[in-house]
Amino acid sequence: MDYTLLKLFLGVVFTLLLYSVLYRENKAYRFAEHVFLGLAAGYTLVVVWRDILYVQWWQKMMGTVADGAAPAMPGYWVYAILLPIGLMGYTIFSKKNNWMSRIPIGIILGLWSGQQIQVWWNTYGPQILNSMRPVIPTTWESITRPITYTRGEGGIKVNLAPERVAEIQSNLYFTQALSNFIFVLTVVAAFSYFLFSFDLRGKFLNKFNTFGRWMLMIGFGAIFGSTVMARFALVIDRMSFIWQEFFGRLLTR
Amino acid sequence: MNWSKLQNVDRRVLYVILLVATSLGLFLPSRIPNDPEPAAKDLYALLMQLPEDKPVIIQSDWTNSTRGETMGHLEALCRILMSRRIKFVIYATADAQAGQVALNVIRQINEERKKAGLVTYREGVDYIYLGVFPNAEGAGQNMRNDIRKAWGTRQTKVDGQAGRVPVFDTAVLRNMRSVSDASLMVVITASATIDVAVQRLSDKVTMACMSTGVVAPSLLPFYQAGQLKGFAGGLRGAYDMEYMMAHGINYSPTPGQEPKVTAEKFGEIPPVPEGKSFERAARYFGTLHIALTLLILAVVMGNVGMFVAKKKAKGGNN
Repeated sequence: MDYTLLKLFLGVVFTLLLYSVLYRENKAYRFAEHVFLGLAAGYTLVVVWRDILYVQWWQKMMGTVADGAAPAMPGYWVYAILLPIGLMGYTIFSKKNNWMSRIPIGIILGLWSGQQIQVWWNTYGPQILNSMRPVIPTTWESITRPITYTRGEGGIKVNLAPERVAEIQSNLYFTQALSNFIFVLTVVAAFSYFLFSFDLRGKFLNKFNTFGRWMLMIGFGAIFGSTVMARFALVIDRMSFIWQEFFGRLLTR
Repeated sequence: MNWSKLQNVDRRVLYVILLVATSLGLFLPSRIPNDPEPAAKDLYALLMQLPEDKPVIIQSDWTNSTRGETMGHLEALCRILMSRRIKFVIYATADAQAGQVALNVIRQINEERKKAGLVTYREGVDYIYLGVFPNAEGAGQNMRNDIRKAWGTRQTKVDGQAGRVPVFDTAVLRNMRSVSDASLMVVITASATIDVAVQRLSDKVTMACMSTGVVAPSLLPFYQAGQLKGFAGGLRGAYDMEYMMAHGINYSPTPGQEPKVTAEKFGEIPPVPEGKSFERAARYFGTLHIALTLLILAVVMGNVGMFVAKKKAKGGNN
């Protein structure tokens, strides 16, 4: 029996059941949804034990015997303390004992808080530094940056003299400066939109604030466009699964 | 013609048109000329210039729900690494199913290479699957602090041997003392796990990303600030990778022929030396254009309908 074909067939059936919601809400769709939820929950339970709890907690607590190239390891009973601490999290469902759930939550929050300075700097530090861009050209030798390579007869790139390349790279040309200026202007204008602590008075500040809002809207528009494209890609993949993977295999069997 | 009706087309009609058009599009040949995004060029050049003696870390955080984009990413990445014989270690943090989905891709590429008579990748020898880690924050922080402790409890099968072996006893990870010993970390994601990886590890290891179109715009600040050395976003990113795998960068197959992909900051980056290049993304990319054309048509029709209806309401002529 061709189990791969059977698997693909079930995939096609469930794809169609799930897409039936596009016509209207129905029991077939609900059935497929519940099957997926059940499978995902069951699968997750197995993986959580096999990949996480078993190797990172149970084996450390109980120890292991030698297996192939893996040596025997002694167990450490102290790992058993983690079980009641973890189980305390479930007391959140008890009105009388839910105070106990704050202990594991507190531990997790404490660990998480301790990481935040590093996390914040690693996220925004390089971005803040990158926003400090020069906006005044250092040379007027050319409006745009000269190309630093030429093509030889074989179509292969031939570099200019290294000194000339270094000189070109160290200069800031007008178009680069203009690009930097637009970038800095956008950053400052977008920030200005979030100044809620005081009234923006005067024509210039208000126009600048509106410009910031426009820049944000353009950004959101681009994000929305990218999201729509992503959703189309998912539909296309489902159609490919049905026509090319399932029927392709069925017809070439 | 009653243009105002265009505003009230039943959405189910639009769904049927979309499904039929995308189905037909899959069977049309599509090799659309392309100028890959600069971020994708950076990623391809980075992958093609990696040293062969250091492993690559792949964090694969996607499941079948985003197969249309991220599967193409992982396939392209595996094809490049396998063609260059670079060892890699792969794990997941976002979803319990993510690990198995990634393993399926590796198996599929191996079968494809076997059919083509190419060297296949063996578990425990050329790559290691570490499994799933409980959360991205904890996994990233542990890797940052001490990778030997973070992965120390994990064991792997080794092709041709009985039993399981601690992962640091294998040829893939034997020389890895810290996360910085990896030549590159690639996060393939459909969620914000890339943010977590950047926060914990971007100052320790060269990092790149392949993400869905939904996540891609949020990667731009990371890329511009140098936290990511390259990225491929969405189906377009997957097609960019396949296009460069076929054509290289600044690469002329025959003397005098203009390269299909050019970039000033690189020298000559060749195409992938063996195996497939155009595959999933190439199949989907032409169809994506059909779908987007339909969308634009629907938006135009709806707007024309609205304009005509407004004009009518004001008493103008149709």
